[in-house]
Amino acid sequence: MKQKSSALTRLTCLVAALCGLFAVTSCKKAPDGLVLMTDPSYTATVFASNKIGFGAPDGILWNRGKLYLADEGRGALAVWSTNDGMRELVDAQFGIDTPEDLVIDAEGNIFFSDDAAGGVWEVDSAGKQHLLAGKDKGLYSTEGIALAPDGSILVGDADQHQIFRVTKAGEVSVFLGREFGITKPESMTFDDKGNLYIADNEDNVLYLLDKNHQLHRVVDRRDYFSPETIFFANGSLYITDSNAGKLYIYTPNEELKPIATFSGQLGNIQGVTVDEHGEIYVSVQSDLKKNIGYIIKIGKEEPLPVAIRN
Amino acid sequence: MVLIDGLAMSALFAEVVGQLTALNDQIFSHVNGLAGRSWLFDNLVALSQENDLIKAGIIGCCFFAAWFSGKTADEIRAHRKTLMITLVAAVCVLAATKVISRSVPLPRPVIKSQKIYHLTGDDLVEMNRTHVRVPLDETSQKEHRDLLKGDVNTNDLKSFPSDHAGFFLAISLGIFFASRRIGALALVWTVLVILGGKLITGAHTPLDIGASAAIAVSVLMIFRFAARSRLGHLLDKVSSLTLRHSALSSAILFAVVFEIASTLFHVRHFLALLVAARRYLMFG
Repeated sequence: MKQKSSALTRLTCLVAALCGLFAVTSCKKAPDGLVLMTDPSYTATVFASNKIGFGAPDGILWNRGKLYLADEGRGALAVWSTNDGMRELVDAQFGIDTPEDLVIDAEGNIFFSDDAAGGVWEVDSAGKQHLLAGKDKGLYSTEGIALAPDGSILVGDADQHQIFRVTKAGEVSVFLGREFGITKPESMTFDDKGNLYIADNEDNVLYLLDKNHQLHRVVDRRDYFSPETIFFANGSLYITDSNAGKLYIYTPNEELKPIATFSGQLGNIQGVTVDEHGEIYVSVQSDLKKNIGYIIKIGKEEPLPVAIRN
Repeated sequence: MVLIDGLAMSALFAEVVGQLTALNDQIFSHVNGLAGRSWLFDNLVALSQENDLIKAGIIGCCFFAAWFSGKTADEIRAHRKTLMITLVAAVCVLAATKVISRSVPLPRPVIKSQKIYHLTGDDLVEMNRTHVRVPLDETSQKEHRDLLKGDVNTNDLKSFPSDHAGFFLAISLGIFFASRRIGALALVWTVLVILGGKLITGAHTPLDIGASAAIAVSVLMIFRFAARSRLGHLLDKVSSLTLRHSALSSAILFAVVFEIASTLFHVRHFLALLVAARRYLMFG
């Protein structure tokens, strides 16, 4: 009898302790995603969520008032505009798998990479889709993509550790071979002077290839720095780091400066683009398998009117 | 009727949460208010947080003393059983607090003094900023300068619950169960020096520590309950072995206490290396 009552007391204590644990840990139930503005002159808002019809986007690009998305979660390339809403341009039925990054030329032709299906894919200005150059031409796992000044497309391959040049006729040649030592050309962009920036998120290096074809390490061996996507606009380079959940701005001859740190549900930031008003947009893959993602808009805080400031 | 009951319960819950949050802020503000006033005091507090010998060495010594305490063989065996179960529970507490902190991203108060947005539904809402006094010691000042420059350690964005608080509370409480006098010293040291320091420096709020304490007590209770029923036989055997092979058990105990003093830093480092090696072997 005494033994029974002792066991009952222990069980009661155990249940009470578990209830206490539940109460204390749930009373501070927190937000699942945070954005810390390391530069307080910026503000953050959710520009779009899955409700508008995308999955988990990777590369994003603003072009002529429309937002283009390489939707890795859904295996589709999509475009969003205020008037037309979300519209898929290419889907998985066409043979693409995990679209990674995209560029648009002056004629409105879209070119995108796909790290699982490989190749460079094109949706022309009339909406016609085709594989410009595929695995048969040696493009196995395409990552970063950039539009060269001569009109050709540069695409990085993670499997082969090289950057290839693809002409609009679909001819493929090596642009930067293995001897340059780039392990994973995850993202690429040209600046306004014709230099090519290359983000390697395997070796965690930001490279700059000047017009003389000389490769320089711009940001290297910095703690917690792993460039995922880079985008050049208004004289600065915007960089997302999915490992540390950070958005940086890099201006040549200046220090790498963090703008915001993302964490929790918003920690896995991927693509970055800037619209015509200078607002920054960042794609977030909250859950790639469950297709949960966000587009976060980072804008400059409006200065307070003089009367309020005083 | 059920709906009204439900509404009343949720209103009550919201009220309790509101009161707790207010209390949490009040306590934090008072304790953190001690920082930034005296260079000497702030440096002593910083020493207690950074120096393993001062922070955790005392707890390790208490563990060592409790291991060898007891007048009879049966008493020593009983103490050792308690301490062994405490160790397992403390590791589980560390793991549980780490897992929870990953799913509940709440920044340290010192980070919450900056502009932060949190995701509520499909909106980003700016959080209320916490006023934090920065201690005058060199490390705190450097970290604050780094924060203003935008260098934030991602670990600082996940401070709820406190893993250190949970770990040391579990160990101290376990020592207390084994030996009241030594355990009381360990508990006082944990509460006043280790946890008090965390509040003063703005590393944690009372709720972070309260949640860790709840986890520590719960996990320790579960293991003690299991030790009395299912694990009792195994613990009896192991504790007898420690008496029979006292030289070997002392050597192992040294390694254990060494790790307690560093909050399992070396073990965690080793495990991380194993995970990296596994990933390297599997994926190249």
